[in-house]
Amino acid sequence: MTFAQAVRAPQARRMPHRPNRQAIAHRRPASRQATRLRAASWEIRSFLLASGVIVACFLLVLLYLAQATAVSAAGYEAQRLLAQRDELRRQNALLVIESARLDSPARVETEAQRLGLVRAATIRVVASEAVAAAR
Amino acid sequence: MTATISHTRLRVLFAFFTVASLLLSARLAYWQTVGRGDLLSRATDQVHSDLAVAAQRGIIRDRTGAILATTVELRSLYAIPAQMKDSEGHDTRFAVAAALAPILGERPEVLRAAFDSGAEWLFVRRRLPEETAARIAALGLSGVGFEMEPKRLYPNGAVGAQVLGFVSDDGLGQYGVEGSYDDALAGTPGRLAVSRDPANRELALGLRAAVPAKNGDDLWLTVDLAVQNAAERELAAVVEREKAAGGAIVVLDPKDGAVLAMASSPTYDPARVGSANTEALRNRAISWTYEPGSTLKAVTIAAALDKGVVTPSTSYQDVGYAVIGGRTLCNAQCKVYGPTTVTQVLTRSQNAGAVFVASKLGAADLNAYLHAFGFGARTGVDLAAETAGIVRPLAEWYPVDLGTISFGQGLSVTPLQLASAYAAIANGGILYRPYVVASRRDADGEHRTAPVAVRRVISEETAATMVTMLTTTVDNGIANAAALKGYSVAGKTGTAQIPSDDGRYVDDAYISSFAGFVPAIDPRMVIVVVLEKPQSKLLGTVPAMNTFKAIATDALRYARIQPDRP
Repeated sequence: MTFAQAVRAPQARRMPHRPNRQAIAHRRPASRQATRLRAASWEIRSFLLASGVIVACFLLVLLYLAQATAVSAAGYEAQRLLAQRDELRRQNALLVIESARLDSPARVETEAQRLGLVRAATIRVVASEAVAAAR
Repeated sequence: MTATISHTRLRVLFAFFTVASLLLSARLAYWQTVGRGDLLSRATDQVHSDLAVAAQRGIIRDRTGAILATTVELRSLYAIPAQMKDSEGHDTRFAVAAALAPILGERPEVLRAAFDSGAEWLFVRRRLPEETAARIAALGLSGVGFEMEPKRLYPNGAVGAQVLGFVSDDGLGQYGVEGSYDDALAGTPGRLAVSRDPANRELALGLRAAVPAKNGDDLWLTVDLAVQNAAERELAAVVEREKAAGGAIVVLDPKDGAVLAMASSPTYDPARVGSANTEALRNRAISWTYEPGSTLKAVTIAAALDKGVVTPSTSYQDVGYAVIGGRTLCNAQCKVYGPTTVTQVLTRSQNAGAVFVASKLGAADLNAYLHAFGFGARTGVDLAAETAGIVRPLAEWYPVDLGTISFGQGLSVTPLQLASAYAAIANGGILYRPYVVASRRDADGEHRTAPVAVRRVISEETAATMVTMLTTTVDNGIANAAALKGYSVAGKTGTAQIPSDDGRYVDDAYISSFAGFVPAIDPRMVIVVVLEKPQSKLLGTVPAMNTFKAIATDALRYARIQPDRP
């Protein structure tokens, strides 16, 4: 049922299609009552229509505010995540630098000396051609 | 009567409201039209911020990809003395200074004086190490805070300092690669215009206009960190042992002029540039000149061979000295050798022999070959602050200059120039422009540096002959201390006097050097070692050769270069 049908429904109930005898006998008073009823139903319809428009507008405003609030909150969340990402990137960069520092040949040499390691005096080199020929 | 009064009152009231409405309307109209711009800008200023977005400075890596320099954001500690109060409003400056002092390694009085200086806002310490910043943050002190600032970090410490250069506090590259490639490394800053709330948070619904920053290019160097480390380690050791005033080492790839290592002493730590002296900042491999001495005999003889005026077996009668331009030029210790071939001139490093060869060549040709080998002009290496050295114009040569220059006195060169010249001999006669940056990587991809062959200096035959003569010099001659087990080595020693400010030479002080390449056949690296005023004096070439050997041994082993001798 549409809104207009809902508004018309009471009138339909109050205005039967087949008038009874009493109604025919008292024709004029019944006409005034009908006029009053028509006026009253117009007022109700207008009231309901206005109320409906106001409620719809209110709901629209609420919807807009809810959307705006959600977007704003999402913006703050995005900003927080960006800051978190930047901090993680910074921490990662610091770790990469620390890794490079630990890999530095100078540090490795110093550490090797501290552990009492010595440089190999000779390194035996095997010519690959000779090995390949032997196979 | 009452009705009349009431009517008047109504009129007055009406007039009042009318005037008030007109005034308000006029004021409103003013702010909507004439004053709109001012109002709008004041409102905009309250919520909008327009900031420069710093570009990330590019990373510098060695040829294997190891990080040599990179930038990271570190926390700088600032203070707002007026906000140093506890919950009851008492001043806590003394307590804050006392808490910070032991962490920062500073005296509390110094910090307190800074807080009491009257400054509303001041940096207490900039770019703190992460651990230090974390310790301070954990204290939860009032009136202090952190601000992020970029910091250039060099994870290998002082290794490669002179090649890399450094970045000043205001973000400008100085010296070395940082200086010469500052534009490429720095990138282009962007802009970010956003609306912010009172808590300084960006508003998602507000204005947002961003021009992204273009980060700096990453640079991949030709330098090999392992070879660079070996060069710097050996240079520091020999300078200390010999109590030398300084020194320099250059390691080049003779096939294309790529710089594998470049060391200079004294050196500095890029993390503490402020405490380094000016001399330490100078890269002696390119910014310092010296008279090369006998290492230049190889160039003189190569020129004469190339010109065809002598052969390796051309001989002369050595009497221990040569007279030229009315001056007598002696061999070392005026030693007399008798009949001598050109090869022996090199293997024994005879000054008189070099004069003999130069006399055959002539001043004009010697001058031309010196320039062809790249002396007297910048090599064009892509590093800041290179110097050209001095080869005087031929018109300014005295007759004796032909003799002195033939054995490396009377001109000045940089260690890099000498290394380039030896690289030309090693690679078959082509002079390459030395270079340090192998490739540049940006958003578009990798841009590789193409090696630049400057010119052919000597013929392939001459170069091959020179390689043989220089190999003999190491195997059986004056440079025998540079011989390496398992590898053929070609090279020449040099001992040169040091010119003084009065135009004469400094007494009893020398510059000792060795220039060589290994393996002599199919050379992989040219190494030049120069020591300034070693305590071994005339025997200073021995520590130079030992340094050459140590670096070559490490580098050959590291590069897995197969021995070419049993």
